[in-house]
Parts: sequence; structure tokens; C-alpha cells
Amino acid sequence: MTDLRIRRWIFLGLAVIVVLTMLVPVTTKVTVSPYTQRMYDYIDSLPAHSVVMVSFDHDASSQPEIRPLSLCLLRHAFSRGLKMAGVSFQSEGTVIGYRMIEQTAKEFGREYGVDYVYLGFRPQLQAAILQLGESIRGLYAQDYFGTPLDSIPMLVGIDSLAQIAVVLSIADANNTTHWMEYGKARFNVPIIAGVTASMVTSYDPYLSSGQLSAMVGGLRGAAEYERLLNRHGAGQRGMLAQSATHLYLIALILTGNFIFLRARRGKK
Amino acid sequence: MFLQYFSPHPLARAVNRGMLDYWQILSAIALVVGVVGVARTNLMGLIAGKDRINRLTVLAGVMAMPILAWLWGTTAGSPFVWMFEYVQMPMQATVFALLAFFVASASFRGFRARNAQATVLLVSATIILMSRLSFGEGFLSQFQWIGDWMRDNPSMAARRAILIGIGLGSLTTSLRVLLGVERTWLGGSK
Repeated sequence: MTDLRIRRWIFLGLAVIVVLTMLVPVTTKVTVSPYTQRMYDYIDSLPAHSVVMVSFDHDASSQPEIRPLSLCLLRHAFSRGLKMAGVSFQSEGTVIGYRMIEQTAKEFGREYGVDYVYLGFRPQLQAAILQLGESIRGLYAQDYFGTPLDSIPMLVGIDSLAQIAVVLSIADANNTTHWMEYGKARFNVPIIAGVTASMVTSYDPYLSSGQLSAMVGGLRGAAEYERLLNRHGAGQRGMLAQSATHLYLIALILTGNFIFLRARRGKK
Repeated sequence: MFLQYFSPHPLARAVNRGMLDYWQILSAIALVVGVVGVARTNLMGLIAGKDRINRLTVLAGVMAMPILAWLWGTTAGSPFVWMFEYVQMPMQATVFALLAFFVASASFRGFRARNAQATVLLVSATIILMSRLSFGEGFLSQFQWIGDWMRDNPSMAARRAILIGIGLGSLTTSLRVLLGVERTWLGGSK
């Protein structure tokens, strides 16, 4: 069989597995990892009415992974009575972030301007974080809808990162690093993160050193968080597809190596 | 910018705020330069008759989004947001999802135990894949703690070494630029 034909069969196999497993209404049971538990405990320990700044710094491409995770974290925060201030330093994350914060706020009957606010997009993450540390109004004179910040009840007396309980960075690249380097190091605001699975190992050293207070990652993290919240969602639904795909990849690796070793032995 | 870290004086803070404002303004101007560059390159290509359909699609996209935003705004329910949610987002997610197919193909054709190092990588990858499975709390769930151990120890040690290397490299390059030893950024070869 030619290389191209083999590749087509591999692609077809993957597509069939993903489609079939997404159609099957089976929920797999996940074991909660210590990392996810740490995030849950951290949010749980924040006093009610604390202001959490949620930074949506991700692309549209990572939506399937980021969305279930973000919804879990927002739901947990709203259920604890925390107040949210949404920002975005990546243009594509702006609308996505607003949609998610609005959806979860509605679920918990929260009121815009009192329980949550959305400030919108600003370019240049590093400069923006440094400015937030100096003055939130210096960076955002108005919110996402053009309302002056001074007329928003939730932001009365809040004008810098010093008055923020914690920053939740939802990111698919290295933007959380900037929050730690500028927000945490310069203004000592605690940082927690919800990231894609591929970024988890990049942030592990920061988590271990305490520069990152808690982190949860990927679809698996979302599924674990859903279990902690006792709520069925896209995380648990997607885990069957992800697990089946992993098994498929393992089977491909083993088959490829079996063929390779047999061919090498044949040459000898 | 560097010195203001060491001074809480109001003048230093004011200078810092001013510089941060200019930083934002400059990045907005850089965006305009980028848009003009994309439009110019594609217009030239269009005139030259190369890849006409692709170039027309790019130009239509570049022009349509600002026009939609200007006419109807960018609030929820506007045509701009509709285009973003139902055109841009699915397209980006599709391109990103293609990675899974490339990984599947690569795991069959390239992930081979050619030598000792490749074998270590192969075994590690397989264990990590197993540790991310979720089929209840049976035999397979035992791989989770092995995966977590690998993440907390060998992986983290390697990642730390890379981070320290990057930090030292950035520091020495910055010093070379500041002291004028490194001048290639000004043009020329030395």
C-alpha cells in the first residue's frame, strides 16, 4: 500500500472514531487530579464579593477546549458570590469572553454592573497589565458598551490590580506568563489559570514555585472540574472522544513500530 | 521603563504612565501598517494575475469586517459578531482540528524506536497518552499517577532548565544590545 493511501486510511479511522464517540451519549467517569482540586479549593476559599479579573487571552481556534473549562470556572466563581471583571488582550477572545461571562451570569441571575462587568479589548498585553497596575481607568475609560467606569456600581473604589482578589487568565498560549511577570511580580496580584492541555507543562514550574497559585488544563481538566461541580457538560461529553482518540494513537504507534522492527530484522 | 521599577516618586510614575500610553498608541499604528501591507501585497498580486480567487477572498475579508463594524457596531447580534461567530471561529477551529490528523499520521509513520533516546520518548509519550484516558477507575486509571509523576519530575526539571537557559540568553543579548556590542538590529552584518 502506498504512503498516501495509508495516510488516507489513518485519517478516515480518526474521523470515524471522533464522530462516533461524539454521537454516543456515554459519560466517562474521570478521577479528579490534585491540580484541579487545588484550583477548586482556591476559588472556594475566596471571600464572597471579592473581585476576580477574568482575562480572556485566547484564539477562536482553541474554543472546543477552552470553552468547557472557562464555563466551569465562571460557574464556580458566580456560585460562590464572586464579582467578575472581564478583560481581553487578544482581539478574538473579546466576543467569546463576553458571551461566556454573560451566559454564566444569566444562569445565576447576576446583574451587569453590580455582579459583573466587561471591559473589553486592549492591545499589547504587557503594556496593558502594567497600566492596570497603575490605574484601571487609565486603560479603560469606558466598559465594553461605552459606559464610563465611574457610573458602574461594581467598580466604585476599584482602580488598580491591588484591589483585585485574583486574576484568572484563560489562555491558549504564553499570555499567562505575562500576567505572572508583570501582574504578579510587579503588583503582587495572585494569578490562577485555565489553559489548553498543550500549555500545561509550560506552566508547571510556575505552579510549583507559587508564581501561579492554581492551574487547570485542557478538556480533561474541564471534565474533572465538572465532576467537582456535580454538573454534566461538554468536558465530560468530549472525554470519550479524546480517550478513544488516544487509544487509536497508541494503536498506531504500536503498529508502526511493529512494522518497523520487523523490517529491520528482515534486513539483518 | 527599567528605572521606574526602583522609584515610587510621582514624577517617575507619571513618566511611566505616559510611556505606557505611547506603547499602546504605537501598537495601534503598527496594526495599521500591517493592514496596509496585507492590502498592498494582495492588490499587487491581483494586478499581476496570481492566485486571483485567494487574493480576492483575503481582500474581501480585510475590507468587510471593518465596514460591518463601522456600519452596525460590534455589539452582540451585530453582523460583525455574526461573521466572527459563524465564519471566522469555525474556520479557525477547523484548521486547528487538522492537527489531530497530522499527529495521527505522524504517530504511525514517524514515532519509531530507532535508538535508545527515541525509545525513551516513545515510551514516555505512550504513558502520557494512557494517563489522559478516562475509562472509569479501573486498571487504566493507574496510569494517571505515573503521568502526574512524569509531569512533576523529569518534565518539570527539563522545562526549568529550558526556562533558565532562555532567561540567561535574553539577559546577555539585552546587555549586548544596551552596551552597543550587538548592533545588527541597526542594520549591517556586524
